[in-house]
Amino acid sequence: HSGLSKDLSLILNDSDDFNVIIQVGENRNAKEFKAHSVILRARSPYFRSAFSSEWITIKNNMIIFNKPNISPTVFEMILKYIYTGELNLINKPGEDILGLLVASDELLLEELFNYSQNC
Amino acid sequence: MSSRKQPKGKIRPPKKPNSADAQFNDNWDRLAQAIREIHKKNASILSFEELYRNAYNMVLHKNGDKLYNGVREVITQHLEEVAVSQVVPAFPLSGASSSQTNPNGAGGANFLKVLKTVWEDHTTCMLMIRDILMYMDRVYAKTANVPLVYDLGLDLFRDTIVRSQNYPIQNHLLEVLLQQIKLERENEIIDRTNVKASIDMLLELTDASTKDTVYATDFENKFLETSSEYYRVEGQMLVGEYDAPEYMKKVDKRLNEEEQRVRHYLSQTTEPKIRNIVEEELISKHLKTVIEMENSGLIPMLRNEKMDDLGRMYKLFGRVVKGHDEMKSAISDYIRELGKAINETVTSNTTAEGGNAASGDKQTGATVAVRWVQEVLDLKDKFDKVQNLALSNDKAFQTSFNEAFEYFINKNSKSPEFISLFIDDNLKKGLKGKTEEEVDSVLDKTITLFRFIGEKDVFERYYKQHLAKRLLLGRSVSDDAERGMIGKLKVECGYQFTTKLEGMFNDMRISSDTMTDFKEYLDKSVLEKPKLDLSVTVLTSTFWPMNLSASPRCNLPPELTKACGTFQNFYLGRHSGRRLTWQSNMGTADIRGSFKARKHELNVSTYQMVILLMFNDKQDGESLSYEQIKGESDIPEADLKRNLQSLACAKYKILVKEPKGKEINPGDQFNFNNDFTAPLQRIKIQTVASKVESEGERKETREKVEEARKHQTEAAIVRIMKDRKTMEHNLLIAEVVKQLQSRFMPNPALIKKRIEALIEREYLERATGDRRVYNYLA
Repeated sequence: HSGLSKDLSLILNDSDDFNVIIQVGENRNAKEFKAHSVILRARSPYFRSAFSSEWITIKNNMIIFNKPNISPTVFEMILKYIYTGELNLINKPGEDILGLLVASDELLLEELFNYSQNC
Repeated sequence: MSSRKQPKGKIRPPKKPNSADAQFNDNWDRLAQAIREIHKKNASILSFEELYRNAYNMVLHKNGDKLYNGVREVITQHLEEVAVSQVVPAFPLSGASSSQTNPNGAGGANFLKVLKTVWEDHTTCMLMIRDILMYMDRVYAKTANVPLVYDLGLDLFRDTIVRSQNYPIQNHLLEVLLQQIKLERENEIIDRTNVKASIDMLLELTDASTKDTVYATDFENKFLETSSEYYRVEGQMLVGEYDAPEYMKKVDKRLNEEEQRVRHYLSQTTEPKIRNIVEEELISKHLKTVIEMENSGLIPMLRNEKMDDLGRMYKLFGRVVKGHDEMKSAISDYIRELGKAINETVTSNTTAEGGNAASGDKQTGATVAVRWVQEVLDLKDKFDKVQNLALSNDKAFQTSFNEAFEYFINKNSKSPEFISLFIDDNLKKGLKGKTEEEVDSVLDKTITLFRFIGEKDVFERYYKQHLAKRLLLGRSVSDDAERGMIGKLKVECGYQFTTKLEGMFNDMRISSDTMTDFKEYLDKSVLEKPKLDLSVTVLTSTFWPMNLSASPRCNLPPELTKACGTFQNFYLGRHSGRRLTWQSNMGTADIRGSFKARKHELNVSTYQMVILLMFNDKQDGESLSYEQIKGESDIPEADLKRNLQSLACAKYKILVKEPKGKEINPGDQFNFNNDFTAPLQRIKIQTVASKVESEGERKETREKVEEARKHQTEAAIVRIMKDRKTMEHNLLIAEVVKQLQSRFMPNPALIKKRIEALIEREYLERATGDRRVYNYLA
């Protein structure tokens, strides 16, 4: 593991300077993720558009984004991948892998899509 | 891409066909509505995530084409509305005459402003539409091989607005753009940002068939056409109204303006094209007119040394193909014309002075030569300055100027003699009033004229003659200057020529040593000392230009003959086998004359001395006739006349002639002028000599030159044939010309004659079988 990806995963998990709150999932299977818009924008064209000045929604200085059609487990994997470039699918249930495949296609995360397809 | 579809069998959309259609319709209605809201600038009520997911689902469920076509329809509808509600109402009042109704093109400017807004709105909306249709772009557009949605938007804008089939938007746009540019050309202030916005818009749109920009297909040609027409008219107007410098300034300004215009709001690709048009219409088409403008064209600029204007013309005209050629030939013609004028003043002067020279106006001849060279040098200076200050030292111009100088310098058949006389003049009085550096620089310049001379051998002959006189008469001011000049000539003519000149210097030096020895010899000798001081210069006949093989006729006084004999014994005693001939025509003598008022020392030529000594035996008032003097002295007639002129008709009248007059004629009587007075004790009697050769002398020189050329030609032929052994006639002629042309231009007839002479003398033979081929006979 490179120092860079380790440090970035720390930023994802522990930092308090996040500026994005993402509501993921629906109903009882929902979770709130905190993230940094700079990183999301830099790593994904989807988020680059989503957070562009035309589309962005800001409440109390926080960017609010809803993603109801992805499960929190899958989104967590996506977020980790976005931050660190790493993904560990060992011992993950097939359901999650399938969810990851569909979600990475929607979000146009090509590398991730190809990777999860080959699992 | 099939791999992108759902993994086989693992996941399937819920199989509810009817609900799938309903889902599609629902999705599409929301998207279409959203796009309309975007067009209304109401995007803040929309959710990116939802719209994106809608489009994603439509593509995922293989409704990409329906989505794509639907989007096309919504955008087209919107643009049609924009055309009707915004663009068409902004049309300027009346197209063509709008410049009259709106002198400032305000209607047009407003139209552009509206278009700018419409365009900006469109691009902003398309960026947002692109955002929510990103999945369609990535997954559908690529496989279906259709333009990405943003590009689709550009195409729709092009076809619905810019090239609308329903409204004459295109006409108005092009007209307004051209009108704005025209206004700006006429010094109106226009709002460039509006123009630039429209131009940028046209640059972003692509023509479907040519794949070029709409700017290039729709606008550029029209722009260039109108510009051509505009500058065609302006060119005609300007040449009629302005003089050449003003005209060029205007053209400069126009070129600059067009360049700025392109930089500010047109495409860089247009720059060379519009530049060509301005150059063609304002420069190429009026080249000759501007060059030939009376009182202000190229020649007046040269005449008045308007270096700035000339420089501007050089730069400006250099932009077009023929520009510099036209300038060059005009300047060359001018140089030739000026040169012709210089030549004419000289010929008119020499013919007018032909009579004067004989009548004793001794300086005029040389003055004419000096003035001619000085004028040519001044002309050269002038054009060197033009070259330097206005023409960036352009080599092509230099070559053409040189040809012009060469042309008129060689038109004056006396130029070799004149140039030599000019050098002679400078080396004789050189240091008077001039520093050594100044003299040197004058001589340097003279060498540049020398280079223009075609007949260098003729110059060499004159130079040798003039140098001989300078040396023998002790007229050279500076030995360094003389040697400097020889150094310069060595560079130009080669050592062959200068070794002879150096030989002349050597003779002078040795003679001075010889005279020292001669004096010692006399001191030690028991012989009777000569009653006069004899100074002898021994010349090696091959170095000197005069014919030294025989002594000219002249009866020297006995004392002198005796002194000469003593010297001859002394000299031949040291150098046996040499032959001395006495050149009494070149000597000088110092004699003392007793006049009523006082005694004067007279420095005279040997001939004059012989003449004057005759009067020693005569009583006061007793005269001698021309025939008596001629008979007694035996001096050749031409020399005798010239010397009598110096004594009787020039500044110092030692003799009095009857009848009076400037010419010496048979029957004239001469008396010793006892009443002669002069302020100086020592008097130098100049021999009247027309410094520029008389026709007779010229013919003689010419003959000598021709003779020398025969030898040189033969030598060249032999040199070449010795090397090649066998050669065809024309090749041989060409080679001979090549070898000799640095000295003179031999004519083929001369060469042919020499070849024949060499065949006769069995140096060459004609080849058996081919009479056009020569063999060398060793």
